[in-house]
Amino acid sequence: MNLMESIGAGARDMASNKGRAVITIIGIVLGVASVVTVLALMKGGEQQSLDFMDEMGGLREIRITNTRVDRLMMTAAEKASERLTYRDAQAIQEQCESVGYVDPEITRFLTVSYGDKTYQMKVLGTNREYPYADSMPLGEGRWLSDKDCDNYANVVTMGTTYKEDLFGDEEAIGKTILIDGVPFEVVGLTKKKEFYFQGQGGGSDRNVLEWFNRSHYIPITTMIKRFTVNDRLDGLEIAAKRVDLVPALMEEARTVLTRRHGVEDFNLEAKSEQMQQRSEQEGFFNIIFWAIAFVSLFVGGVVIANIMLSSITERVREIGVRKAIGAADRDLFMQFLVEAVVVTAAGGVVGLFLGLGLVAVVSNVLGMPTSLSVGILASAFFCAVGVGLVFGLFPAMKAGRLNSVEALHYE
Amino acid sequence: MLISTRDLRKSYDLGSVEVHALRGITMEIGAGEYLAIMGPSGSGKSTLMHILGCLDSPSSGSYVLNGSEVAGLQSRELARVRNKQIGFVFQNFNLLPRIDLISNVSLPLVYHGSMSKTDRTRKASEQLERLGLGHRLKHRPNELSGGERQRAAIARALVNEPSILLADEPTGNLDQKTGREIMSILDELHSGGRTVVLVTHDANVADHANRTIRIEDGAVAEDKSNGGPR
Repeated sequence: MNLMESIGAGARDMASNKGRAVITIIGIVLGVASVVTVLALMKGGEQQSLDFMDEMGGLREIRITNTRVDRLMMTAAEKASERLTYRDAQAIQEQCESVGYVDPEITRFLTVSYGDKTYQMKVLGTNREYPYADSMPLGEGRWLSDKDCDNYANVVTMGTTYKEDLFGDEEAIGKTILIDGVPFEVVGLTKKKEFYFQGQGGGSDRNVLEWFNRSHYIPITTMIKRFTVNDRLDGLEIAAKRVDLVPALMEEARTVLTRRHGVEDFNLEAKSEQMQQRSEQEGFFNIIFWAIAFVSLFVGGVVIANIMLSSITERVREIGVRKAIGAADRDLFMQFLVEAVVVTAAGGVVGLFLGLGLVAVVSNVLGMPTSLSVGILASAFFCAVGVGLVFGLFPAMKAGRLNSVEALHYE
Repeated sequence: MLISTRDLRKSYDLGSVEVHALRGITMEIGAGEYLAIMGPSGSGKSTLMHILGCLDSPSSGSYVLNGSEVAGLQSRELARVRNKQIGFVFQNFNLLPRIDLISNVSLPLVYHGSMSKTDRTRKASEQLERLGLGHRLKHRPNELSGGERQRAAIARALVNEPSILLADEPTGNLDQKTGREIMSILDELHSGGRTVVLVTHDANVADHANRTIRIEDGAVAEDKSNGGPR
C-alpha cells in the first residue's frame, strides 16, 4: 500500500467516524491555534522593537556615557580627567578609522523669546546634519550645516511643537528669535516625529518621541561659545560606517578616549546590545507563552494516542482480517500512523484558522502588536503533524504487532 | 504435492502448564484436492488450519507449501505467502464493515502491491460478478444478506488467484438453504481445478469433500477417501 493510498484511507476512515474525529482533533486545534498566536505575538513584539530602534537611529550607533563615580571615591587620575568633551568627539572623528559620524550633544534649558512671548525651552547644541536627516525628518527649511558649526553661526532649527505658540500662522523660517538674549535666525523646522508602543498599560496615546519635537537645535560650537563654561558633553553618540564595523569602532573609540582621559571613566554601549537586552526581557514572557502552547499540544497528543489506542481495540478484528489477507506488520503500522498524522494535520488546518482569528482578536481588541508570516503558519502546522507522528507511533506499533490469530478471533 | 507437512507440532507455554495443541501431524495434500479437516473443538484442528494458512508458525516440524519451506519464515514473509497463496473464507465472513464490496475484495490486491487502482477495481468487480454480486459492488457489507456476504468473502479469497482456498466453517453462520448454496459454489470451484480445504465439525459439510482428515487430540486420527468426486 503506497503513501497516497494510506492517506486517502486515513481520511476516509476519519470521515466515517465524524464524532470521534472531532473529539480527537480538539486538542490539536487548540494547540496549533495557541502556537500561531504565540508566534505572532513574539514576532509582533520583535518587529516593534526593531521599528523603534530604526526610529531611534539605527543599529550602527554606539552611545558613550561618563561612568558614574562618587566624587569622594575618585582617584587622582579620575579627578584630572575632563570627562567627555567636544574635543573628544572631534578626536574620535579624526582618529577612528571605522567612524561614520559623531553626534555630540550639549543640552541646556534656555529662555527663548519672540516678540512678547517668552518660554523656557530645551536647546540642543549639536553638530550634525546628515545623521539627523536619516532618523529625524525635516519639515521645512534646512538642517544645521558643517559651515554653521565652523562659523559659530547663530542659527536654529526649531522643534515643531512650539512653532504655533511662537509664530501662530506666520511663516517661521527667516524669523529671528532670542535665545537668552542672543538673536538666532530660524533656518528650519523639524517634522513631527512619533512612535507609540501598543498595548502597554493603555499608554498607547503617549508619543515616546515627543521630546524630539520639543527641542531646538543650534550648532554645538555656538552653544559652547555662548551658553556654557566648558565643552563637556551631555551626550555622545558615534556611528560606525557599517553595522559590522561596530565592534571595531568600539575598540578604536576606547583607545582614543583612554589616551585622552588617562583613565577609562566612560562606558561604551552599542545600540544593538540594548536591543538584545530588551529582547531578553521579552524572552521571559515568551517562555510562558511557549509553555502554554506546548502544554496544549502535548495534551492534544495524549488525547490522540488515547483515542488511537481505543480505536485499535475496536478494530482488532479488522487488523486480524487485514493480516489474514496478506497485510504485513509494517502495512498496519503505516496505516495507523498515517491515520494519526491525517487526523492531526486536519486538526492543524482547523487550528490555523482558529489561530488567525485569535491573532485578529489579540491585535484588534487587546491592541497588542502581532505579526504573521507564512513561516509562522507553516511551523505551527508542522508542530501538529509532529505531534501526530510522535503520539501515533506507540498505537501504530501496537497495531502492527498484534498477533494475527488472536486478532482474528477477538470478540 | 501442493502441501506436505512432517511431524508438525505446536505447543503453548501457559506459565505453569505447557499445552500441546498439535502432537506431530504428517500429511500431504495434492493440487486440486477437495479436503475436509474435521474434529471436535479442542482437537487442534483450528491450530492446524492457522498453520496451514500461515497465520501461525509451528513449534517444530516442516511445512512445505508449493515447493518451499514455510515453517521458519519471518512474519513479513508469512504475510507475503498468505497474500499470494492462501485464500481465507471465515465463518463470520470478516468483511470490513466501513468500506464497500469493491474495496473489500480489492484489499488483497492492495497488499500485493504493484497493481494500479484501476486494474484492482476492474479485477475485483470481475470477481464479484463471477459470484453473482455484480449489482452489489458499491454496497457495504451490512446492506447484504448472509449468503451475499459469504460470496463476497469468497470473491476476496479468490481475487489473488491463491493456491489453496481455506474455508473455516463456511456455512456456520448461515441458514441451511444458503449454506447449501455456498457449498455448491465451493464444489464448483473444486471442479474448476482449485484446491479447497474445509475446516468443519459438520459432517454434512465434510461430505462435500472427497477426502476427510479427522484430528483428535492434536494428531491425525483418520484419513479417508470419500469415494471419489461426485
